[in-house]
Amino acid sequence: MITTPRFPRRPAVWFALAAGTMALVLAATAPSPMLAQVPAAVKGAEDERVAVIAKVKPAVAAVCFYGGKVCGSGVVISEDGLCLTNFHVVQPTGAILACGLADGKLYDSVLIGQDKVGDVALVKLLPKKPGDKFPFVKLGDSDLCRAGEWSLAMGNPFGLAMDFNPTVTFGMISGVNRYQPPEGKGTLEYTDCIQIDTSINPGNSGGPLFNMKGELIGINGRGSFDKRGRVNSGVGYAISINQIKNFMGHLKVGIDTDHATLGASFSTDAEEGDLSKIFVSSMLDESDAFRRGLKPQDQLVAFAGRSTTSTNQYKNILGIYPKDWRVSLRYRRGTASKEVLVRLMGNMDKVIEKEPQPGDPKPGQPQPGGPPSNPGAEKAKLSPAAKMVEVKKGYANYYFNVLAQDELLAEIKKNYGDFSKLTGNWALDGNVQLADRGGNVKLTWIDDKTGTMEVKMSREGIEDSVKPLEPGIGVGELSLPQGSGGLLVSLWQFRLLMTQLRDGMNPNTSFSPGFVHGGSEPFYPPPADGKLPANITDLRVDCDVLKTKKGQFEAKWYFDQKNHALLGCEATFVKEEDPCELYFYDWKDAGGVKLPHKIVCKFGDKTFATITARTYGLVRK
Amino acid sequence: MFRRIVPAVLAFGLVASMPVSAAEPVTKVSEQVNEKMVKIFGSGGFKGVVNYTTGILISPDGFILTVASQTLDTSELIIHMYDGRKMKAVVVVTEPVLDIALLKIKVDGKKIDEPSGLDLPYFNYAESLKRPIAEAGDWVLGFSNQFEIATRNEPMSVQQGTISSYAKLHGRRGIFDFPYTGNVYVVDAITNNPGAGGGALTDRKGQLLGIIGREIKNTLSETWINYAIPLNAKVETKDGDKPKIVSFPEFVSLGMQFKYKPVDRPVVVLTAGGFHGMRFVPNILERTPPYVDELYPNSPASKLVQVNDLVSFIDGEPIYSIKSFNDYMRKTRPGMTIRLEVRRGDNLQTIELKLEEWPKGLLPTVPLPKNPDPPK
Repeated sequence: MITTPRFPRRPAVWFALAAGTMALVLAATAPSPMLAQVPAAVKGAEDERVAVIAKVKPAVAAVCFYGGKVCGSGVVISEDGLCLTNFHVVQPTGAILACGLADGKLYDSVLIGQDKVGDVALVKLLPKKPGDKFPFVKLGDSDLCRAGEWSLAMGNPFGLAMDFNPTVTFGMISGVNRYQPPEGKGTLEYTDCIQIDTSINPGNSGGPLFNMKGELIGINGRGSFDKRGRVNSGVGYAISINQIKNFMGHLKVGIDTDHATLGASFSTDAEEGDLSKIFVSSMLDESDAFRRGLKPQDQLVAFAGRSTTSTNQYKNILGIYPKDWRVSLRYRRGTASKEVLVRLMGNMDKVIEKEPQPGDPKPGQPQPGGPPSNPGAEKAKLSPAAKMVEVKKGYANYYFNVLAQDELLAEIKKNYGDFSKLTGNWALDGNVQLADRGGNVKLTWIDDKTGTMEVKMSREGIEDSVKPLEPGIGVGELSLPQGSGGLLVSLWQFRLLMTQLRDGMNPNTSFSPGFVHGGSEPFYPPPADGKLPANITDLRVDCDVLKTKKGQFEAKWYFDQKNHALLGCEATFVKEEDPCELYFYDWKDAGGVKLPHKIVCKFGDKTFATITARTYGLVRK
Repeated sequence: MFRRIVPAVLAFGLVASMPVSAAEPVTKVSEQVNEKMVKIFGSGGFKGVVNYTTGILISPDGFILTVASQTLDTSELIIHMYDGRKMKAVVVVTEPVLDIALLKIKVDGKKIDEPSGLDLPYFNYAESLKRPIAEAGDWVLGFSNQFEIATRNEPMSVQQGTISSYAKLHGRRGIFDFPYTGNVYVVDAITNNPGAGGGALTDRKGQLLGIIGREIKNTLSETWINYAIPLNAKVETKDGDKPKIVSFPEFVSLGMQFKYKPVDRPVVVLTAGGFHGMRFVPNILERTPPYVDELYPNSPASKLVQVNDLVSFIDGEPIYSIKSFNDYMRKTRPGMTIRLEVRRGDNLQTIELKLEEWPKGLLPTVPLPKNPDPPK
């Protein structure tokens, strides 16, 4: 029992008044004569805070089952109604749901993309009238957050507000770059997250965490709970917005995204006294890190540009990237240190998916005690959102992937012209520079009567030729010219991409159905003049990716997000081997369409060839 | 009533004015405080008993204050410094009545009472003591490694709140009354989470006010309370049979000279109800089922109950855990008869027990870390 000598009566009242949120409400609204005594600076800061809350409030969403039963929170981040929330909030609602905004209206909504491991989902609110714009908030830079800064959490804890007017809580950032291990089997892993003492409770899940400028710095979703039950314990966690930005390209195109592994495990040295270091303890042979030269006992110095002194830090950094991304890695062996770009492997293969069990601890569940049933499931079928759902394995909603493909294909046509009639033979005359020699080169794409395309390369008396679709063709032939990793096969796919795009009818020549939008990835094209910068990551260009697949041939095509210029591709035909990398430069007119007049081919850690085109000859059919 | 609103409003006024004045941003204060704190790793590690806690440095050569928790009950204490260094520490002395322990970093090749040669950032306890006691409504910061969120060079968690009151503590930990009964700072932030014990409660400039205590419940309301033991703590107790005042400042100053002697602590008397004579399996979970582990000879239960019986009902009320058993028993008194239903194998057995007075010496005492051997 607590005895309070100064205020012997009604200690409970005192407690309530001292509680943070209550005091905030009082400070913000109480028409108290005491305010006259509040210094101007204090009043000014308070007014600023009230103004920030008023500014962001309209974009805070209550994420609901279709029909309006509240399930969690969310926040609108674009005028066309894209809304971020937690995966564990939309998991019970299904793809057709509803979101309530502070205007008191409930909007039919549809799931676009999801990140199970990162516990993020992207939802789209449908406007009441076509063209209506939604209030939205600006994304901040969560790397700038520091422990000790103030923050605002908004949302709908305990499903309090029937009119969707969000609750605001005010508190402190308690820590940054925090790591919280997965809650499910491999899912709901919070890496590099923001720890707050700002009160978050069941129902706050998926809601926004703002800095005091009203910028979105995170999505609230989890807390540390122990004996006090699953309510605010003074320790909440928000997924950092910078992690979400890395996944945004994937989320927007409907992907059920996956996180990454490096294919290596690390251990911290156990030496006392010294500062901590981490070392490679084991590696997978099929990992790109292994192919790039990383070996057991190497010290991991930096990963994605951040220094790594503990396994928590390493997991933090790894956890914010989608699979297949290339990031930089610096390692030390003996006295030498080296920086390389590594491709990350997928994570989900090792995750055994588990349906939530009754009684599973799950933060933010509106009514703990069991998986909520979906009360709006039947009515949802009548929603306009129902026409925007397409189920496909590997996707949260493939409908939005098809939309994104259409947009990107339109951009290709706009940038480079219409190749659809240019399906006859192609030829390129020019110059080739290899590592040790150079000379004239002639490339030809021959469209054979059977539909089996042949690609030839003649240079200074040497001729290489590949028919990629010929039955029984071996890896050796597909890799021609020797040392290129499959330059000719890659050029064949390039022609397929430009001429057939997605809709080619001939199953032998078109990519369909192996044609999807792959979200976004960083791409590191070497500079046109060949001079590499000191920092390898300075080359990074954020790209939209098209993924194509035809038989055993898979390729990823990289389009600069700024102007949709096709910068290059990575093509593979043997899994777990280095791809053949092509980089395209100098797109110029080639008889009504544009084609790259310089192509760099890289394989592994080496540049194989630089081809400069003098002329292209493209035959119509 | 009106007077009481004022401090809260003013406290948040301070909060709000921070970004404006920016004289000492909390971000900077946090970094400074963090350098004076250590993460402590010791015994425990099974559910309910954590093997980590927090400590604060109070001298450049490595004296550390923390709470007197089970974590210290090991010869191998490991601490992580703010910069990621990993070091050994030993317990110099604990004072159960204060619930505080003094540790020192052990440097290889140095005896514990020799200067360690370290030059670490630290809180100046004596200087901090000179500042006036913080008052209800004062704005405070809490720093700790609660939930073991941080290891190595990862910073402590920082929380903010206001002092709700400066008052006497009557707390309970498990079934035991809490040994510390002096004044505490009660705060409105949820500071006292697992592993937070030994953390720092500071003012907004990062000046030390108190040591965050262990997780305990208010004996009246059965709610968890958040508090810190102030630097000036004094407790009236008995040393053997003689009345004695135990003082935190004296503990620190004598302790750092290796001269402090803990009081011969009186047995903490429980409101344990009547004596039944059963001892259960170790109560390590929030809901440890009350399996009988041992029976006291010649006790009411000794002839009727068997080891491995699971107590399922008392007087028809379901019993789910050792805690709910003890809670029920507290309402009883010697001389009463209770009806137990115990699960033995596949059957429920009904047993009537006539409760007795607790035999002298058998009353449970608060489990505390043993004092180490005197440092050599």
